[in-house]
Amino acid sequence: MEEKKAKKQEIIETEIQMGTVHPAALEPYRVRFFVEDEIIKDAEITIGVNHRGIERIMEGLPVEKANMLTEKICGICSNSHTWNSVRTAEKGLGVEIPDRALYIRVIVGELERLHSHLLYLGHGCETLAHETFSMRVFYIRETIMDLLGMIGGNRVQYGCSIIGGVRPRCELDDNRIRRILDGMDTVEKNVADFADRFIKDSIVASRISGTGYIPQEQALKLAVSGPTLRATGVKRDLRTDMFEYDNFDYEVITQDTCDVKAQLLMRVLEIFESIKIIRQAIRDLPEGKITDRSWEMVDTGIIESYIEVPRGTLYHSYAIEDGRVRHSIVRTPSMTNIGAMQYACIDNHITDGQLCIVQCDPCFTCSDRAIEVYDTNNNKLDKSILQSNIH
Amino acid sequence: MSLKSHSRSKAIHIMLVYTGGCNGCDIEIVNAVLSPKFDMEQYGVFLTWNPREADILVVTGPVTYDNRKPLEDIYNAIPNPKLVVAAGACALMGGVYKNCHGDIPSEEIEGPVENVIPVDAKIPGCAVRPQDVLAGVVAALPHLLNAD
Amino acid sequence: MSYEISFISILEVIITLIIALFIGVLIPGIERKYVQARIQQRIGPPVTSSGLWASIKFLYKENIEPNSPAPGLYKAMPILCFIVVLAIFLAVMPYNYQFMAFSSLIAIVGFLKVEEIAYVLMGSLSKSVMSVNLRFPDHAKGSIRQGLLVSSIEDISSSRSLRMIIFGSFPLYLALFIPAVLSKSIYLSDIVAYQQAHGPFLFTLAGLIGAVIFFIGYMIILNEYPFSIIKAKSDVIEGPYMELASKYRSFVYVTRGFLIFTLGLVFCVLFLGVPPVLVSWKFILCVIVSLILPVIMAAISAFSPIFTNKQLYPTVLTSSAIGVLAMVIALF
Repeated sequence: MEEKKAKKQEIIETEIQMGTVHPAALEPYRVRFFVEDEIIKDAEITIGVNHRGIERIMEGLPVEKANMLTEKICGICSNSHTWNSVRTAEKGLGVEIPDRALYIRVIVGELERLHSHLLYLGHGCETLAHETFSMRVFYIRETIMDLLGMIGGNRVQYGCSIIGGVRPRCELDDNRIRRILDGMDTVEKNVADFADRFIKDSIVASRISGTGYIPQEQALKLAVSGPTLRATGVKRDLRTDMFEYDNFDYEVITQDTCDVKAQLLMRVLEIFESIKIIRQAIRDLPEGKITDRSWEMVDTGIIESYIEVPRGTLYHSYAIEDGRVRHSIVRTPSMTNIGAMQYACIDNHITDGQLCIVQCDPCFTCSDRAIEVYDTNNNKLDKSILQSNIH
Repeated sequence: MSLKSHSRSKAIHIMLVYTGGCNGCDIEIVNAVLSPKFDMEQYGVFLTWNPREADILVVTGPVTYDNRKPLEDIYNAIPNPKLVVAAGACALMGGVYKNCHGDIPSEEIEGPVENVIPVDAKIPGCAVRPQDVLAGVVAALPHLLNAD
Repeated sequence: MSYEISFISILEVIITLIIALFIGVLIPGIERKYVQARIQQRIGPPVTSSGLWASIKFLYKENIEPNSPAPGLYKAMPILCFIVVLAIFLAVMPYNYQFMAFSSLIAIVGFLKVEEIAYVLMGSLSKSVMSVNLRFPDHAKGSIRQGLLVSSIEDISSSRSLRMIIFGSFPLYLALFIPAVLSKSIYLSDIVAYQQAHGPFLFTLAGLIGAVIFFIGYMIILNEYPFSIIKAKSDVIEGPYMELASKYRSFVYVTRGFLIFTLGLVFCVLFLGVPPVLVSWKFILCVIVSLILPVIMAAISAFSPIFTNKQLYPTVLTSSAIGVLAMVIALF
């Protein structure tokens, strides 16, 4: 398929606004669809509704307190934010983390990927208006939520990382390990059944194949990250660069059809890879202590850390001064995926509009922060330049 | 029990408005309705997205500056009698976002929800548990049943 | 076999109407609890909740003036729909078969058309708070495309229901006329008499195909998933009904169940040749058929996502083509 593009000269008849409260969106944002007889010719997503200024709140807080605060950036990938924030501090302070703690972090991180991907599937099915599939997925997801509740003590905000390891609460004893393994068996079987049923459903297939097409070149141009990028055929997964994942054997899944079907299948296949990683982690779980608190707080320069979270690449950076956080910056994956969401809507029916946004796994609650966009020559881009670049 | 209050107790339509929380409560509330494990519909509680149909407005999040007017609009669109249930720590007292600099309030946050619209019941938790959502809705119910 | 109008017959029609309304308000609950909730492996709402108690509850709610350019007309539409369904109901009552023009297929088609036009009007008159009217403090004033006509989501729903009038309800009307072709009369009395003499149309080839097409058209006209494009949750939320509150909304609830039941009666009359006569086995058969149809509909809707144009056009075209085929078969 050639690249689709809305011409500026075209007469676009109507503007339809959806949001900030809309059944197909699980979070407040507004989308404007520019439609020509129910076919979307252009889309514009307005975020900023969620802006709470969490980076400013973090400014000047003690590091450990700030780490706990990052959990509240997002309710879906809460552990990832804590993990990356802690990782940033550890990188700057040069803290050695016990192996067992690293493995537990990976287990919780992968459980989080499972629950996030299942939420994505459930939300996707709900946006397709397929209530039965949606309920099925939410039913499967409950197993993961129970496991996360068991490890972290809470169903949603369960972040387990602290500087030097994981919280003592998150220690995995034999009972917990057995429950995790049982849960993995159940989830694997249920997801396989669901995926089988989902792919064979011809009505669903006709709804999702060919919809929300994002070509690979465009995805690279828009700096899309995470599973959304991998579903366009680019084999890029930051987990391959993370030292935590060095000892694990898994595949980086890619899909090549670039549409909603590829995105959905992508998540289903990643669920199986995550289950594989969790099983390996539990099999090789090293003995030893889970927290090493013998580190010294020192002043550092700007520290940066990138990790792969369920939605893509997460970036945290701050400096530490007197044990307090300075100049905190968080960049969440949905931030970079917004371009892809807008692009995917073009040339689709308006009923598919929300589906095209949902396919990129939006999490605008994470993303709502002030941004500055620079081009490759380090020139700051304002709105007019953005317009000429996109169209 | 009169026919009026009996019918109100048998069919409750709740509407969820998210006002800029962290997504955790929203998903748990949707989970409470959509997941067959919790299945709020078995108690006659239905999720609706139309303010004209709703009886109970469930608000999550600390009401950010941009969300104040949409929240008021939706509240005004609900016909009487109506109830507001604030769910989650942010909706109850602004969560970690409000007043986290001590005396200097955060200008991003208009909340808690009580500052914007009257609240009848509060569901604590960060994030709220699905069971608590149902308990909160049931706790608010007498106000609804006895209203005109 | 003839039916006379007398005091008894009027009483019978009124009793039938009450039974129909009662079963009608139970139908949404039956669909939800015994079909969809079973498929979704959950307990589901109480049977009486989603139809009966919800419509009684809305009667006691405060009536908010709908946000609409013509509130009076908008509020009149649900009542118009109810009257239309009532007219269809009366048309299939055997006591009214002597009013030939009233109890003919043309009249039923006309009444259904009025119902569909009501959706168009409601859609264009409703200006809900959920899209344009939501006061959103936009800091980035303007958009990448400016000076456009901004329309609310119900306008899409309105244009969709217009499109449904043009082609969407085609299968139902084709199916309605297959019995007419078979019995060579558009009057219900003749259709019933023909079937009582020659056996139900359902057991002939043309009639069987006609019944299937009728069922597809039935789902389309009831806006059930997967054909519910005029009230799709993923874009237009509730479409034409967005602004209806209190007793007008309860009219919507009652009308929907009543329409489901009435279309079941139409099916009985046209394809089984069984008019709803109250004190006989025929009425029980009518009730059973009127309940089986929504049960099958609920099962289908639980297993399908919503259709977009890509799926809707082929479905409607294919079923219309099969309907034409059935008509050709019926001619010979």
